[in-house]
Amino acid sequence: MAAFRLKIVTPDGLLFSGEARSLTVRTVEGDVCILPKHINFLTALGMGEAKVVDVDGNVRKAACIGGMLSVNGDHVELVPTTFEWADEIDAERAERARAEAEEKLSHRERLSGHELAIAEAKLKRALVRSGVARRK
Amino acid sequence: MAGVSMKGIKLRIRSMESTKQITKAMEMVAASKLRRAQENVTRSRPYFETLYSTVCQIAGSSGSFTSPYLESREVKKSCYVVIAGDRGLAGGYNHNVLKLAEAEMAGKNVTVVPIGKRCVDNFRAHGYDILTDAYFEAGSLSVSDCFTMARDLCRRFLDGEFDEVHIVYTGFVSILTQQPAVMTALPLHGAGAEEKAASETIYEPDSETLFAAIVPEYLGGLIYGALCESVASEQGARRTAMDSATKNAEEMIGDLSLKYNRARQGAITQEITEIVAGANT
Repeated sequence: MAAFRLKIVTPDGLLFSGEARSLTVRTVEGDVCILPKHINFLTALGMGEAKVVDVDGNVRKAACIGGMLSVNGDHVELVPTTFEWADEIDAERAERARAEAEEKLSHRERLSGHELAIAEAKLKRALVRSGVARRK
Repeated sequence: MAGVSMKGIKLRIRSMESTKQITKAMEMVAASKLRRAQENVTRSRPYFETLYSTVCQIAGSSGSFTSPYLESREVKKSCYVVIAGDRGLAGGYNHNVLKLAEAEMAGKNVTVVPIGKRCVDNFRAHGYDILTDAYFEAGSLSVSDCFTMARDLCRRFLDGEFDEVHIVYTGFVSILTQQPAVMTALPLHGAGAEEKAASETIYEPDSETLFAAIVPEYLGGLIYGALCESVASEQGARRTAMDSATKNAEEMIGDLSLKYNRARQGAITQEITEIVAGANT
């Protein structure tokens, strides 16, 4: 079956390098699925679930936030800011972070614009993480 | 007089020994920190490189669209992000990178974002225009700090506060070699190649929005990468410097022990001579 070279690199290191059959990620515009022989493509990533199907048909899910995706010939490079495989997500921590962020946002009138943005971003990240962890 | 100089030598040996202990301890601390920093560098390097090459490639093949990040404007003001250490006693580490930064900035209208206490102190003392000193401690900066800084720099770049952004850092070549380097981060400069492939690339949503989303990430990634390299370099430089300081101390202690023993020997000989002379009379 056709495959492409997938490389996932984050500030925490090279998380995946090898052949893959498909890659689904959430971009700023919505979900996209990259299959082999895709046209050259470049987009910015949003916050959401990523799904990698490797050559043996194994599906791995991950929380993938920020960064970019580039397809160049049969080389696909996923360069997210954070990327965590579903089985490596600390669900409890995500849950705690979600509770904290919600608590903060519950009295939003006390927050400055900057703090509000940080708390909202935290909440979103926590939601993505716990969502992915739950569905694994 | 032999006794006095013997005592003096002994004092010097003792002080040398305590200095040696300090440098030895610092060396070991630096070595253990270096190991961690080195792991960080090897982990973040693929990210750093992929990010850089991908963005360069896009920028190089961008004939069909424009973005404020791609335009080379007339340079009225430059911004330099200079990464140095928090502490001294690291051989030429701070000096080398600051010297390079100053050579680069000479004759330009610049604003500086210093990272590292030494760096902040240096630029403040020399009266440079400092954009922000919020990031003064190189050792404690996290990835998200880098991204915050990058977003801020991008915004200012778009507002026209400065027309180019450079990063001055120290590249970690190996444990023994560190090379200060300058990297131009903005405006983006393309690799120039692959003009053909680019014409068939789809950009989503559209190139301008895309760049607005990607460039701050890219800059943040670059700064983080440069920071990792610099921190590792600092520890490497400190380890080497402390290692040679310890060796020097050992050598000096050896010299002084020899002198001490000679003086002791001299004192004994003199004493015997005096006794013999006294017995003979």
